[in-house]
Amino acid sequence: MLIKDTFSAAFEGLHRSRLRSMLTTLGIVIGVGSVVLMVSVGASFERYILDQVESFSGDTFEIHAKGIQDVGKDVLSITFGDLEAIRDLTTVQNVAPAIFLTDRISYGREEIAPFIFGTTKEIFINWSLKIDQGRLLTDGDDKGAKSVTVLGSQAAEDLFPNENPLGKKITVGSRKFTVVGVIEAMGSPLAEQMDSIVYVPFSVAKAIQGRSTYIDYIALQSKGGDNELTRRDIVALLRQRHNIDNPEDDGDKDDFYARSFEQAMDIINTVTMSITLFLGLIAGISLLVGGVGIMNIMLVSVTERTKEIGLRKAVGARRMDILLQFLLEAIVLTLLGGIIGVIGALGFGLLLTAIANKLLGGITYAITLSSILLPLITAIVVGLIFGIYPARKAAKLSPIEAMGYE
Amino acid sequence: MPSTNHSNGLNGNGNSTLIETRKLCKSYFNDELETPVLFDIDLTINKNEFIAIMGPSGSGKSTLMHILGFLDHHTGGEYLFHGKHAQEMDEDTLAKVRATRVSFVFQAFNLLPRASVLQNVMLPLIYHPTIPASERLERTKKAIEAVDLTDHSDYLSNQLSGGQKQRVAIARALVTEPEVIFADEPTGNLDSTSGIQVMQALQELHSNGHTIILVTHEQATADHADRIIELFDGRITKDTNKFKTRKAKRENSLKK
Repeated sequence: MLIKDTFSAAFEGLHRSRLRSMLTTLGIVIGVGSVVLMVSVGASFERYILDQVESFSGDTFEIHAKGIQDVGKDVLSITFGDLEAIRDLTTVQNVAPAIFLTDRISYGREEIAPFIFGTTKEIFINWSLKIDQGRLLTDGDDKGAKSVTVLGSQAAEDLFPNENPLGKKITVGSRKFTVVGVIEAMGSPLAEQMDSIVYVPFSVAKAIQGRSTYIDYIALQSKGGDNELTRRDIVALLRQRHNIDNPEDDGDKDDFYARSFEQAMDIINTVTMSITLFLGLIAGISLLVGGVGIMNIMLVSVTERTKEIGLRKAVGARRMDILLQFLLEAIVLTLLGGIIGVIGALGFGLLLTAIANKLLGGITYAITLSSILLPLITAIVVGLIFGIYPARKAAKLSPIEAMGYE
Repeated sequence: MPSTNHSNGLNGNGNSTLIETRKLCKSYFNDELETPVLFDIDLTINKNEFIAIMGPSGSGKSTLMHILGFLDHHTGGEYLFHGKHAQEMDEDTLAKVRATRVSFVFQAFNLLPRASVLQNVMLPLIYHPTIPASERLERTKKAIEAVDLTDHSDYLSNQLSGGQKQRVAIARALVTEPEVIFADEPTGNLDSTSGIQVMQALQELHSNGHTIILVTHEQATADHADRIIELFDGRITKDTNKFKTRKAKRENSLKK
């Protein structure tokens, strides 16, 4: 039998049973498609989350008070003394203290109730914020206790929907502040709150709040690149100053938080990893279900043709002729189904992410080659094994057994 | 040893041996339970014989024919085809014998479903080891013409009547020009007119030099054959060669 004949026998076989071929292909399309879709949507979501946190520097630390909060009363534990002591540590840099204001801000008829940070210029380094218009806060603003303000992009948009905010005077509580700068938008929904923050000089906020003992927040960066060393340094210092005996390093006993963004990112990473694992599990199950489906349909469709195998043997087909024909048929079906499945899943995945991007923003479609190849190869291997196995079994029978006599 | 004189084979009245069985037995095994179907079949068939194997159902006549046609294996005794032991042939040799030397006409036609008459008749040629691909179409058309179905070449097998299907099966059986054509109850599923047509077709093949072995339980069908072998409970009970009788009759009528 010529190779050409094997091909035409295979294609005639597929053509003669169009419905069955189509159903088999469909089974493979669904088996492969669902896995690819699962994995790619999962990967896109994971990348979306990682994109959100990537912009933060992992070396940045946040220190703030912690404790049981009475209604309406701030919990305060970090003092000006703590601040100075921290500044003296050799493992830190860019120390930026902050005192929060809760005043409403208005300009003309627009009014917002943002988070107001009284802080110093180092905060912008710690948070990786860049200026969009005007300038950032300076040491001069702080030393001179100037009534100037820098607006987050969202705050600027809310207060000045149709105007350039630079140089305009806005009312914070009962005081007027001149807008000197607008921060570049972070652009991602997770950072939306940060885009709404309004910044004023630390000395001004301190005076407004009448603080002489406590501050609300300190941001800083580790020096030397060893975050754990910096954390130990800060924690030991604060425990000593706050008279906390905590040799077990049990965070629950402290009256403050001192945590690096890296630690926060670790938590996010754990979350995304469990999402990935979960999606991988679902993909694995889909692969299994798809594989079993492919197995079944190949088993049934080939077993159904035992009679045809018997006839072909009766007119002189060798075992090899039969096997090659069914191998080819299985290759065509699994490849066709697999490729349609991948293309369909990619198209559907793109559509889903496009919709999600409209709703959330910042989502792009992500897919890895391995998440296409793994289900595709699995489908082909399963399809081939269960396409050939029954054909091989049937080809081993005598023609008369295969044709169903006796 | 049986004689394997080829030169004397194709002209009908020769006695060159094609098929010989010695104490051939067949049993089916089901969970080690042995069901014997054929016992000690001793049979010699020469080239260009027209043989009908008769017997009630369950007598083993189909099984015997399947074994002789290499579609099934015997389980005891010997089967020699052209003097060669069938049990010594490997799978590929068996496939070659099926492709070139023998062919079958089944009671249930066994055509490829949803395939055209042309495709069905051509099927054995794609497995034939020596007929070149370039001759396939011509041979196929000739075989279809021989059974008078040229007008139906492009019909699908399921668009044909029973008689037409069986003629397609006959065309498929003769397309490789095999030495022996086996026919298992070829008229069993047909009305009498179609049955007669099919028998005429087989008769014609016989007169063209083919050896025909058919299985039937109808006396009328068996009467077309020159030799009738009767089977009962797996044993040959009667073996009548009518050839001489018929020849004598013909000579008698010529004299008159």
